[in-house]
This record gives sequence, C-alpha cells and structure tokens, in this order.
Amino acid sequence: MAENEYNNVSYEEDDHRVAFIFNANPGDSSSSSKPAARPTKRRKVVKADAPGPQEGLQAGPAFPPLFNGAEGPDAVRIRRELFETAWPVLEGRIQHVLREANRATLDQVSSFLQQAAEVETDKIPAGFIITGPNIASQDLLFEQLAERLCTAARARFVRLRASEAPHLKAALKKIIRDATARAADEDDDVDAEVMQGGRKYLDYDLESLHVFLNQQQQQSRRVVVAFQDSEAFDSGLLTDLITLFHSWRGRIQFDLLFGVATSVELFQARLLKSTARQLYGAQFDVVQANSVLDSVIKSAVAGTQAKLRIGPSLLRSLVERQQDQVAGIQVFISSLKYAYMCHFYANPLSVLLASHDSLDRKLLQPEHIEAVRTLDSFKAETEAAVDARQLNHAQSLIEDDDYLVGQILEQEEKRQAYLLRLLRALHLLTSTGLSSTSFTDLYILALGDGIDIDQSSGTVPLEDAVKRQGPDEFLSLIDRLLSAVQAGNSELGLEGWESDAEDFVTSLTDLRDEVDGLMERTKKGNGTALKSKYSAQSRVMRTTVVAQKVQLSRDSATLSEEDKAFTNAIDALLGLLSQALQCDPVDNLFLHEVWVFDSKSPYRDVFVPRPGATFGRALSRPHDYLACACCGRANGGLGSTLPATSILYHLYLEAGALINVADLWSAYYALVGEESDVGLDERSALVHFYRGMAELRMMGFVKQSKKKADHVAKLKWL
Amino acid sequence: MPRRKTTTEAPAPPVSRKRDLPADPYEVPDEAETPRRRRRLENNDAVDKEGVGEEIVSVEEVKSAVEVTPAKRRGRPPKSAVTGTPKAQATTPSNRRSRTLAETPVKLNGINTPSRRNIADRSARRKSARALIDRVIGGTVSDDEVEEGDIAREIYESSEDEEAEAEEQAGIEEGQEPATPSKAPGRKRRATGRKKSPTPPRDLPPHEQYFYQNKPGLAKTSNNTLSSLDLLKHDEYFSVLRQLEDPHAADVNFLQSLHAESFPQWAFELSQGFSTCLYGYGSKRRLLHNFATYLSSQNPSHKIVIINGYVRTLTARDILTTLTSALPSLAPGGGGGTGNPSTTLQTLLTNLTNTPAPDADGSPTTLTILVNSIDSPSLRSKPALQSLLAQLASHARVRLACTADTADFSLLWDAALRASLNLVFHDCTTFAPRAPCELDVVDEVHELLGRKARRAGGKEGVAFVLRSLPENARALFRLLVGEVLVAAEEQGGGAGAGGAGGGGEGEVAVEYRMVYNKAVEEFICSSEMAFRTLLKE
Repeated sequence: MAENEYNNVSYEEDDHRVAFIFNANPGDSSSSSKPAARPTKRRKVVKADAPGPQEGLQAGPAFPPLFNGAEGPDAVRIRRELFETAWPVLEGRIQHVLREANRATLDQVSSFLQQAAEVETDKIPAGFIITGPNIASQDLLFEQLAERLCTAARARFVRLRASEAPHLKAALKKIIRDATARAADEDDDVDAEVMQGGRKYLDYDLESLHVFLNQQQQQSRRVVVAFQDSEAFDSGLLTDLITLFHSWRGRIQFDLLFGVATSVELFQARLLKSTARQLYGAQFDVVQANSVLDSVIKSAVAGTQAKLRIGPSLLRSLVERQQDQVAGIQVFISSLKYAYMCHFYANPLSVLLASHDSLDRKLLQPEHIEAVRTLDSFKAETEAAVDARQLNHAQSLIEDDDYLVGQILEQEEKRQAYLLRLLRALHLLTSTGLSSTSFTDLYILALGDGIDIDQSSGTVPLEDAVKRQGPDEFLSLIDRLLSAVQAGNSELGLEGWESDAEDFVTSLTDLRDEVDGLMERTKKGNGTALKSKYSAQSRVMRTTVVAQKVQLSRDSATLSEEDKAFTNAIDALLGLLSQALQCDPVDNLFLHEVWVFDSKSPYRDVFVPRPGATFGRALSRPHDYLACACCGRANGGLGSTLPATSILYHLYLEAGALINVADLWSAYYALVGEESDVGLDERSALVHFYRGMAELRMMGFVKQSKKKADHVAKLKWL
Repeated sequence: MPRRKTTTEAPAPPVSRKRDLPADPYEVPDEAETPRRRRRLENNDAVDKEGVGEEIVSVEEVKSAVEVTPAKRRGRPPKSAVTGTPKAQATTPSNRRSRTLAETPVKLNGINTPSRRNIADRSARRKSARALIDRVIGGTVSDDEVEEGDIAREIYESSEDEEAEAEEQAGIEEGQEPATPSKAPGRKRRATGRKKSPTPPRDLPPHEQYFYQNKPGLAKTSNNTLSSLDLLKHDEYFSVLRQLEDPHAADVNFLQSLHAESFPQWAFELSQGFSTCLYGYGSKRRLLHNFATYLSSQNPSHKIVIINGYVRTLTARDILTTLTSALPSLAPGGGGGTGNPSTTLQTLLTNLTNTPAPDADGSPTTLTILVNSIDSPSLRSKPALQSLLAQLASHARVRLACTADTADFSLLWDAALRASLNLVFHDCTTFAPRAPCELDVVDEVHELLGRKARRAGGKEGVAFVLRSLPENARALFRLLVGEVLVAAEEQGGGAGAGGAGGGGEGEVAVEYRMVYNKAVEEFICSSEMAFRTLLKE
C-alpha cells in the first residue's frame, strides 16, 4: 500500500480529465509480459494461486483460496466450476419461465395485429398492454414482442421510451432511424437507397421511411410503434403522433402498442376525443408478478435442478421484499444469483457438492475436515449419536478423519433422498387442494419447520380437512393423489414416482376400490349417503322432553356398517398421508450447511444499502472504521482528535435548522485550537474547517442559506 | 396553587392598590409591560442565560407577589374556608353567578371577541393561555375554575416544554394585550419554563427533530458573522495544507488495504454481470484506481476506462468518445464521435456485440468502466447521463463500477435504471481526504457562505478563454506554460527546497528566442511576425 501512496504521480494528469483510458503502467507498453508479478503485490491472499491470472481469462477472475490461503488450487477450481455449472442451468430455466409467462400475451397481441391488418378500417390498430407498475420488467416483454412481430408479421418494430422522445421531432427521428436500421442488418446499402434519386430527406420526414419501405422487396409496410411507458409521454405529443400516423395511414401502415401501467380509461382520458377515435384498440393483460414469482420459485429455487438450496429465512425475506416493495422479478433473480455467488465464493465446504469422482481424499484437506467438525450440524449429529448410544459412531466422527470423509461422501445421497422426499411431499400436498397456502409459503414452511399434517402440532394441519371429506370428495382426492404420483411436476423438475412408491399407490387404489364398493352398497341398500363418524351430520343433537324438562343428548351411534367401513377408510388414508407427507426441517440434516445458503446479511448489505446510517456512523464514530489509538476515547462523542469533518458533523447534529458558520467556527476552534490538547494554530484549524465544511456540502448535509449572512441550512435529519 | 401563594405571600399594599385601579383592561398591559420589557433586555444582554436566571427570578418574585395580591383581594374571603371540598363548591349557584358577572366586562372590552383573534387562536395552547388570562382579569378564582385552570396551565406548560425557545417569541405576541394579568398564576410557569429553555430536547427521533427544528420562529442563531475572520485564499489554503499532517494517515491507509482485499470479490461480481457501487465517507478515488490496477493486472487485455464524475464539465460526448477510442475495432475508423450521442452509443454497443474476440486465447473484449462519484453534480443534474451509463452497464460485455459520495445516491435511479444497472453496494468508508481535483475546498466553502470569491473565472473561465482562441494560439500557450513550469522547477531545484515555494515564482523567465524556436519546431507558427501576434493573443 505504501508504494501506492507515492506512485500516484502517474495519474495526476488524468485527474482533471473527464474520462480516460486506464493504463496500468504507462511507461511499459508490454504490460502483459509479466502478469503474475502484479497481483501478488496487493493480494496477499492470492500468493499461493500462481496460475490464477491465466485461468481467469476464460470467465472472469479466479476465486481466491480460502482457509487463509491454505485451500488447494484444485478445490478452488472445483468451487468455481460448480458455480459455473450450477448457475447457468438455473438461469436458463428462469428465462424459460419468464418467456413462457409472457407467451399468452404475445400470442394475443400478434393475432390481434394480424386480424387488424385484414380488417379494412381507417383506424389505427392499437394494443393496450396492461403491464402493471413495474417498468423494469417490461423490457423483456417488449423485447419478446419485437422478436415475435418481426418474424411473424414481418413488421418493423420500434420501441419508444418517453426519455428518448421528448418531442415530436425526436420521436419521429427515432422511429425512422430504428425502422430503417433494423433492416440495415439484412441489407447493407440502405443509406444509399434512402438517398436515392438525388433526394435526401430530413431525418424526421416520414417520407423517407415511406420510400425506404417501398424499396424493400417484401410487402411489409407495417411499422409497429411501441410506447413502452405511455404514462410518461406528454399527452400532446401522443396526440400529435397519433394524428400524424393516421394521416400517413394510406402509405405506411402503423400499428401502435402502448404499455399502460394504470388503466386504459385513464390513458384514454389523456387523449383528445378526436384522437382517441382514430384508434382501434384492444386490451391485453400481462401475467401478474406474483404468479410469475411463484413459478420462478418453483422451477429455480425449489426445483430438483437447484443445486444450492436457499434457506427458509433468506427466501422468506426475499419473497417479502418482492411483495412489500414493488421490486421486479429481476431483482429477485439477481438476489438468487448473488446467493449462489456468495456460497461458492466464500464457503470452502461448498466443494463437497462436487460429484463423487472428483471428490476424493486428496482433495479434502485437513482444513476441510476441521471445518466440518465446527459445523452446528456436526455437533447435532454427534450428540444424537451419543444419545442413541452409538458411541463408536460418535467417536469415529470426532477422531477418525477417514471415517468422517466416508460419512461426508454418504451425505450426498441422503441429501438427494431428502430433497426428493420433500418435493414429493410438497407436490402431493398442493395437489390435494386442501391447503390454501401458496406453494412458496409451503416450501418455506417445509424447509424451516418440516411438514407434519397432525392437526394440533403439525405445521400443515390437514387432519381435519381430510376427516371431513365426504365419499365423493374422498374419491376425487385419491384420484388427485394418484395422478400426482404418476405425473410428477414438470415445473419442479419432478418425475412421476409410481415405481418408487408402490406401497403407497396400491394402498391408495385399494382404498378407492373399497370406498367405491361401499358407495354402491349404500346406494343399493337404503339410499342414504355414505358418511363417516367425522362428518358433521353424524353428530345429532337429540332433544327429548321428559317430565316437562328438555333433555339434550348427543348421539353418534347411528352409523351403519358401511359408514363404519368408510370411517376406517378415512383413517387409513390419513395414516398413509401423514406418512407420505412427513418431512424433517432442513436443519436436522447432517452437513446441510454444505448445500443450504441461509445467510441474510450479505444479501441485505449488498442489495438494500443503508447509506445514511453508514455515513452517520462513519462520521459520528470514526473509531469504528479507523481503529486509531487517538479517537477511541471519544466513543461516539466529540473528541478533539477526530477528523475535522467528523467534529463538524457532531456540531452539526446539535445545531438547529439554520447554522451560523461563525459560531460553528468558534466552536470548532475552541475544540481544536491552541488552548486544546490538539493545539492547532488558527490558520491550520481554518484549513481543516474549510475542508470539513466543503465535505459536508459535497455529501449533501448543508446548503447555502440566504436568510442570514454567513449561515447555512441543514439538509439532513436522518 | 394560587391559593397557596396567597397565603404564603405577604401583601404589598402600595403596589397592589395601584394594581386595583384599572377598571379598563387596556391599561393593564401598558403598565405591566415595562418590567417585562426590561427583563427581556436583560436577557438579551446576558450572554449566559443561566447566570441571569437568578436575577430574573428575584425580579419576578417581587412582581408576582405584587400581582397575586389583587386576586386574593378580589377572591371572596369565605372561599378559603371551604377549600377542602372544591367540587361541592363548584356547583353552587352563587359561584356561577359571580363568574358570569366577571366575564361580561371582559367581553365588552373586546379582548376575547371572536372577530379580533378568532381563527388563528384555535390551538389548545392559546385557548388555555386565554383561559388563564381571562380568569385573572375576571378576578374570580372560583374552585371549579381552579380545576379548569390547572388543566389549562398544564396544557400551556406541556407545550411550553417543547417550545422552550419559542416561548419568548410567542410571549411577545401575547404580551401585547393581556400578558400581565397572567403573571399571577404564571409565576411558577415562568420559573419552570426558564429552567428548561436552554437545551433543546435530546434524542428525538429524526422526524420529530425535523419538525422541532423547523418550527417557525425557532431560527434563533446569533448574529455573529465571519467578518472578523480573514477568509482563506487559494494559495494560503494550499500552502497551509501542504504543511499539515494528517494524524490518521496510517489508519486511512490501513483501511484502504482492508478494502483492497475485497478486490477479487468485486472483480467476480463484475464478471457476473453486476455493477458494483462503492459508497461511504471519504474519497474513493484512489481505491478505484487501485482496483483498476488490480483488474488490469488480472487480465491485461481488458479495456478500462475511468470517468471522473467530479469534473464539472462532463458531457455525454466526452464519455462516448473515450469509450470509442478505447475499442481497438472502432478507433481506426474514428467515426461515431461526430454523430449525436445515442447513435454513437448504438454503434458502440453493436460493435461490442459483434466484435469477434481479438485475443488469441478466445476471451471476448470486455470494457470496464469505472466512474468516480457517480452522484456528482455534473452526473446528477442530467438524467440522460445516468440512463446512458445504465444502457452501457446492461450490455453483457460492459462492466461498471462506480463510487458514490452523497448519502442519498440511491435516489438517482428509478426502477428501470436500477434494473439495468443491476447494482450491488459495498460500504467503502475510506476516510481518505479528497484531492483538490475532486473537491475545490475554498470555492465550495465560499459558495456556501455566499461569498463570491471565486478565482478569476475559475477553471471554467480559463477553459472558456482557451476554447475561444485559435488552435495555434492554444498550442503556443501550452508551450509557453510548459516552458515556464520547467524553468520554475529548475530554478526551484537550484535554489534549494526551501525557497521553492514563494520566492522563485515571480522571477521565472523564459527566453524569448528559445520559445520562438520551439514554436517553429512544432509548426505552431512560421514567422516571427506570426509568433508575435499569437503571443499577443
């Protein structure tokens, strides 16, 4: 670092330039000749990682080795490979989900435009796409629209944003440029053609577009203009544009698309009536963000393909953030990605996720073993073993490295089994249709607390709901369960598991047959409906009048043989279900730390910064950051040794809305001046004071006030 | 409470008799304002309020003793006997009658007429104050009114606690008419009010503090000005600054090195399509520069462009031309820089997308943009620049890292920009002092103070003059300045380190002939004649 302090001469000249190309060592043009020499200078951590820079060329920088640099290069490489294989799979799935979500809208829009082209009308077809308030997620939709319409309808697609088209001229320029440029990829000599015939058009003259379109061989004279954020456009501009398009309608066929965040009525109210009459519109809804989020979670977070599990508390906070703030789905995806990055970048044990053949005794260093032994789940596992009197197991876990490695390797299978069980249980649970909680909530619940359908103690109390089923509902419930087992769930990446759960399936079918038979019999017998002792009708209140007194008595004895059998069937189903829908919370698993990431703090720090608090802390307690010998005593209060800005900040906090700089100066000078223990002379103190004031202003704490001479106004109260 | 007073305080006959006189309330304030005013004067003169406190109290004691007496006199003697059961007393008809009697003249006098001070005085505080006043004016201290009065006073006082400072101001308004009579019950009130007044309430939550400090009439600051202080000039500032030593330099460096340890992490985040944003107190320019060094050491083929947001003259074109020149495939063409920014940007981006990997090892060109102070005034005032950066950042081959200096930089971006920037934030409090290029301290402070002590035109002025000159003249100016600087350096070096600062500067000279020769060499001018005209410029 010291060296850096003094070699700053090299870039002084660049300081005042607006922008410049960074050159690491200006004198040395062949800087690439010694790439390995430089990183070791600053990165003490990387010293062991000699081949790092060369490897880094492929896909970004190498991971630094962990365990204070003791981690072997192989392990580092594997961690990176794991990340690089794990994330793209998910990303692909997410993109797929998002695209699928928009598909219905796309189909509708393109078919509408198709139809509108055939209908002979002098109105401009206009599609109103209700996108909802989040403008960030519109981009993908319009991108897809552009792709779709360019290929399907062979139309030119122009996307307009309010910021790009502040006035009519700019809007037209943009439209013409985009409409012609898109084709420029196809044939290169467009520029020449536009200017053909000795005529050169102004760049906002729609005539040029007309000529251009005429020259195109294909009969596509359609131009789709999409106003992405139609609310942000000036209504006068919109009116002008629409009128203009309408007047060109004979020569260029314009189609309009409006992204509407509020409602079509509001949008219409902003247009002139005469303009609105020129539009021939239809309204399209986009899939709600919530359902998109749900399916993203299903496929990317909960699905079988997710290598890393997002822990329940982190996932909950992510989902809550989505719901509380109108954060787009993109934010969620970034957060997800960041969680993956954190895990593989910073957790040395993530290497244990590697496949068996690469994971051998040589790769696992003593540090890995040691790290495993510090885990909470290791502690829990050994304690459980001791409680279960498996003392040998416990002892070997603690003492025998090889035994532990064996155990570690076994965990991979257990992990997969657990996940499969969890997902199947969840899938069954949702397909019963008995629980009203959404999949996301169920998933979070299952990870955090496990699944248990027991009425009183369980996390998902379904017992009563099952018991209350009538015979018809009972049958359909069984059918749903059976088909769930057969079909699996494609979103979750879950295949049918009939073969794995033969017992379950056969008992279910048996139950179904039995209840079927019972129903037949009751129908034939007395015509009354089949009921169980749990259904409400079975409990009859009897009122008897005995000796002019009313007696109430409960009676449940009127169950027929069939009813009793049905009750037994329900009990049997309940037993089956509580077995199938039984799942432990993820914390109970040995070594779950390897594949569950549940730390909220990096996520919060990185995505939801609290700059106000950070600045406040830095200024009010500089010792927290500097750890210097002198300022520790101040302990959050004023101290004369604090940096000038910090002292001023303290004084600033005490001051009112209007601050007299002269008083501030005298207070400051009294603190650091000659009589104090710092003992600055007046001019030096003044220099410090100036710097402090300038920095306060730069950071936006004060501004000039014209109310009184030499006063500044306070701007921050947080 | 008043009752207690009446018993404890000795009557002061001469004054009280005088006090008895006014049948017309209008006289009351006039007479009573004098002590009040005197007191206020005292108060103003005194620098230390506490010091005077005692005096004030003593003055007041005398006065209150004076003023309470009439209340006692007017109050009917038997009343004190029944003090034990105030409630019962309150309902007696006689009492009520006396009150109505007492109130009538007040109305007539017009103090309480709604027409005069109606709507403005709705607040509970004013009302309670008035209740107190009325009661004393009316002179009836019936028992139910004592209760009422207590409540009223409580309201009055509770608001007074908060408004300790504002109280005086308000007192002036109210004091105009009926202030004096309120003295009687107000003795205690005044005492408590004064006790609490000097320090504003502490530990209020921020929003409360905002409202507290922005109360109208609270702008109480002294009238001191900096006129006695000789403000710093640029040269003095820099010369003093050079001699100063930062006691925290070592700690600041250590902090930097701590931040530097996360360079690999940031690089990883950048490579994954995130943009890093470093925020926190202190200059992050060096940190970013070191980061650039680190990045280029990791992968020399990376193009890194640094944008100095703090430069006031920043434009989109500057950024784009630099970016364009950074790309080897675009640079030879040299085009693009002439069109309008958005077309340039388009060509830039499409070029980035289409450029096949120039390196043999197959890594695609990536362009890393490092922005110093993304929330600087020049970047913050033009939203187009932010969206330009966002567009750049959303490209797969462009990586963006920026630093932010203000505490509310996150308001810069709306949801769409934020999504395309895809920012991750890191707390990078460095405590590093800002370099002069980042922050022109003297100018900033003078601007803050409203002093127009800018350097002749400042940097912008020089730039403006230079821009208006023909190219050759500019080149000559550059040459001349360069020569002068070299000469100054040589001279300074010769004279020794000590004299370099002040003494040598004025006497630096450059030989005319030499400059001319150099100018000819660089094809700035062809003849001596032309040279002279250029020099004149």
